[in-house]
Amino acid sequence: MSTPIFTPEIKTKADAIVGRYTTRRAAMLEILRLLAEAHGHITLETEKAVADYLQVPAIDVREVMTFYTLFHKTPKAKRRFCVCRSLSCALQGGEDILKYLEQKLGIKAGEKTGDGAFSLEAVECLGACEMAPMMQVNDDEYVGPLTKEKIDELMK
Amino acid sequence: MEKLISKYFIPGKTLSVGDYVREGGYEAARGAFTRFDPPALIAEVSKANLRGLGGAGFPTGKKWSFVPQNTGKPVYLVVNVDEGEPGTFKDKYILRHAPHLLIEGIIIAAYANNIHTAYVYVRGEYTEPYRKLTQAIEEAREKNFLGKNIFGKGFDLDIVVHRGAGAYICGEETGLLESLEGKKGFPRLKPPFPAVSGVFGCPTVINNPETLSYLPFIISRGAEWFAKLGMERNGGMRLFSVSGHVKRPGVYELPMGTPLREIIYDHAGGIRDGKKLKAVVPGGLSAPILTAEEIDIKMDFDSLAAKGTMAGSGGVMVMDESTCMVHALHATMRFFAHESCGQCTPCREGTGWVNRILDRVMRGRGRKADIDNLIDIGSFIAGTTICALGDGASMAMMGYLKKFRPEFEAYIRDGKCDLKDGSVPHPVSV
Amino acid sequence: MPKLMIDGREIEVPKGTRVIEAAKRLGIEIPYYCYHPGLTVAGNCRMCLVEIEKMPRLQIACHMEAQDGMVVRTDTEKIRQTRKHVLEFLLSNHPVDCPVCDQAGECWLQDYYMKHGLYASRLAEDKIKKHKAVVLGPTVILDSERCILCSRCVRFTDEISKTHELGIVNRGDHSEITIDPNRALENAYSGNVVDVCPVGALTDRDFRFKIRAWYLSSGNSVCSGCARGCNIQVQYNLDRPHHGKGARVMRVKPCFNADINQWWICDEGRYGYKFHDQNRILQPVSRSGQTAREVAWEGVLSEVAQKLGGSREKIGIFVSPQLTNEELFLIRGFFKEGLKCPNLFLLSPKSEGRQDDFLIRADKNPNSKGAELLGFPYDPKAISTFASKCSLGAVDGVIVFGQDLLSLKNTSLDKSVLEKLKWSVFIGSNHNATSDRASVVLPSATYVEKEGSFTNFEGRIQRFKKVLEPLAGSRTEFEILRALSGLLKIAFRYQTTEDVFTHLQAHEKPFQGLPCVQIGMGGTDIRVLAEPVIPAIEQKGDIL
Repeated sequence: MSTPIFTPEIKTKADAIVGRYTTRRAAMLEILRLLAEAHGHITLETEKAVADYLQVPAIDVREVMTFYTLFHKTPKAKRRFCVCRSLSCALQGGEDILKYLEQKLGIKAGEKTGDGAFSLEAVECLGACEMAPMMQVNDDEYVGPLTKEKIDELMK
Repeated sequence: MEKLISKYFIPGKTLSVGDYVREGGYEAARGAFTRFDPPALIAEVSKANLRGLGGAGFPTGKKWSFVPQNTGKPVYLVVNVDEGEPGTFKDKYILRHAPHLLIEGIIIAAYANNIHTAYVYVRGEYTEPYRKLTQAIEEAREKNFLGKNIFGKGFDLDIVVHRGAGAYICGEETGLLESLEGKKGFPRLKPPFPAVSGVFGCPTVINNPETLSYLPFIISRGAEWFAKLGMERNGGMRLFSVSGHVKRPGVYELPMGTPLREIIYDHAGGIRDGKKLKAVVPGGLSAPILTAEEIDIKMDFDSLAAKGTMAGSGGVMVMDESTCMVHALHATMRFFAHESCGQCTPCREGTGWVNRILDRVMRGRGRKADIDNLIDIGSFIAGTTICALGDGASMAMMGYLKKFRPEFEAYIRDGKCDLKDGSVPHPVSV
Repeated sequence: MPKLMIDGREIEVPKGTRVIEAAKRLGIEIPYYCYHPGLTVAGNCRMCLVEIEKMPRLQIACHMEAQDGMVVRTDTEKIRQTRKHVLEFLLSNHPVDCPVCDQAGECWLQDYYMKHGLYASRLAEDKIKKHKAVVLGPTVILDSERCILCSRCVRFTDEISKTHELGIVNRGDHSEITIDPNRALENAYSGNVVDVCPVGALTDRDFRFKIRAWYLSSGNSVCSGCARGCNIQVQYNLDRPHHGKGARVMRVKPCFNADINQWWICDEGRYGYKFHDQNRILQPVSRSGQTAREVAWEGVLSEVAQKLGGSREKIGIFVSPQLTNEELFLIRGFFKEGLKCPNLFLLSPKSEGRQDDFLIRADKNPNSKGAELLGFPYDPKAISTFASKCSLGAVDGVIVFGQDLLSLKNTSLDKSVLEKLKWSVFIGSNHNATSDRASVVLPSATYVEKEGSFTNFEGRIQRFKKVLEPLAGSRTEFEILRALSGLLKIAFRYQTTEDVFTHLQAHEKPFQGLPCVQIGMGGTDIRVLAEPVIPAIEQKGDIL
């Protein structure tokens, strides 16, 4: 292992997080997030390190990793598009937006471009129906209402 | 009409603690400590007819009164900002623009229930609202509105913000508690109820942020005033999230019991592009759909329940005549199948099966028996599950199949949507 | 104590009893998958939904606590329809592997379908594909498609074995049982997850494709692997020797016993049955020098009687705590009181092993306590005492019951000592180094081939019956001692082993008043077994 998963800096932050909860296990989601932000994504090795740190069985960390959708298990693409496909966005042409992006990027929803530049995902309601059809970019910014032109603009 | 919470929803602006204090912010919380003892405070909130605005509409004062104070265990407050019900986006606005309103509401709720630690569970995708909230909490700490001996009243309170990681089921109160405890969001068997045994096995109050944000108004202007704003047993106002085929989608703060027609046509500007209304989902994705003929209905918990639907989270999704109901139901059931936690048989297998049937129908390979099969399957997903996701999925589906059956029959018969031909089968009014 | 009505019948139960348990006590069967009286309540299968008056929704009987005045109905049309639909949901993604699945014949999906389903399938969609034939460890193999996600196996590894290997990953109908990616299912109780699995998702590698469950007959017994004496059901096949390569015992399952092992047995006990059929001594053998010939019982018994007729001080007798109370009593009667042999030793054929805080005892013998109570204390110096007597020429013959003197772990006899003796008689069931050198070998029965009793380490006496006939030419120790008694004109007052037990209970002081535990009823099928004596509300992981 080249770089330790829990560097002293990360451990300090993690200890502070654990201190906010009554049980160590409760810090699970925040600790995973901390490590994902530090190392880019979460590997099986990271899961084991988290299990040891929180003093829980490793299988419990695996369960959490596979249950929630926001944890990256593989290296993240540089630009990530999560397009909403729930009802309000579907009513406003969300499916066409997704198809357009698939076409433009040359990948299907759920995939990443070969060069790691873009990834595309179809997700459920992001709580932004007033700007339907919309998507979340890089797990942060909400962008919408989307049109093909807006998308072209975004991808320049 | 006066705006209470939404007055602060100005694009690009977040109310700072300084601005908030200048207009009297945090005075209601301070006043609550002097004017009420906790039981009296709970009674006042009950008098206001404040109901849970996350979706269940449970009377807030009554919920608080269930909390046992003599267990020797600490009582916790958990604020449910997992806002995941499709069609709902109002809590996002509260965190983004008026987080101090929420913090003040938290203080009032904490005092009423002898709570000294509050967890705010924010859905993982709400990154900007999370940043605004944590910043506001820092500001509140600096002013000693949070921390030790707040307002000099010998009361300690702090807030821990905890982010979700992408699961609608964590909006279900016991699913949320499991997620807060670091596990998968598997809803728990009830009893015991969270009021008695919630987070970390301790008595827990779970409230929606909108519900809490109305508390400062109730305390400063009186429960009676608040109750009168709305309808009998449904007090005050609420934030309606309006989306879909309206000219002006957005958040509209209106009195409880505002007619749906008024919301759609007067506030949201009516249907876009001069089209005709076809259907409305009145309270988030789980609420049974209403046809265009049924929109003269008051948007409060009791009136909607009486009509076989629900006020839910206040998410109003408007569909015009260009909407294919088969597509709409497909998107709906795909959501529930994707979000089912998988714990119990009827929801896990049932929502998945319904989703696959609708997939098949959508691709033009529907069969005559499909509609009756869907209704039969749906009637055993409702009422048999651990939590309400199964009920919501089933109820939503039944609404479509009962009120728009001719359209489904036509789609199955023709293998495709008939809308382009202009021959939209007339919905059945139920 | 709450009094409630179930299907019109009244019952009073201890506070905390779940409705499903109360119903069971009335003999009312409510179907279930995820409920297990030995594990915490999960409430996820939804098969046990019942109607409770004044409650608008159906309630699960496994979680609902019986309340005073509660009125429960378990057999209304609504419930019948609900059960049918729950089954249909479970079968909607089920691969229906029955022709190739070991669980067939004892599968709860099959059984409940016949009882509560019987509907025509209306499935027109593809089923979800998951991992099949996943080897989890040396004992268990997983098929995720067959899994109904009842989580019993996960709860077992969390609460009973406390080894936390298993979990459920993903969400919705893509959920799957999985094992910690860095581990195998290798704990000492791994086989129990196959018992708790109601379907063919977790199956036994040892039993895989061996024989169909409905070809098996069974009989209850007590495991001889250690001093706990877990109750077992021995499942065997006599009519189809082409299955299992001619072996009779096909597998061993635990039997419920509230006091001793509850619902569980360890892997060593579960998989340690092969010796009943493998490596058996089939006929008496007489050996002179290097040549051994199979001989008839009558002749060889006379030969042994002759040897015993000589000088009694020159004979050494080794018994083991693997023998039953009745056998030890008869041996004492014959050798000590009858023949007045002074050199009677008790030795454990197996050395002390691992012990844990659950079922496994360090003493790997089923009847050490029984032997002790019958006056056979364990003597660690037995071998050295005997060896020195041999070297002094003070003994010239030895009778060994069952154990391998040459291969005992801590204190074995040297080959040369055995070779120096004028004669040796081995009475046991399986070949070993001693039996391969003894001048006379008398094949005896294993414990499934005889009736008798063991006294476990807590002093509980457990009586077991014969499950199988002694294999080939082997005979029980009871028969051998009776024959020798006849030849040596020593009184032998018992017609049956049961007579011996009756005598023990009446006249052996240490046995009087000891609890005689009824060995488990019900075998493998937890629906048939288990008085749910521990309300689930009180069950934690540390059950014992």
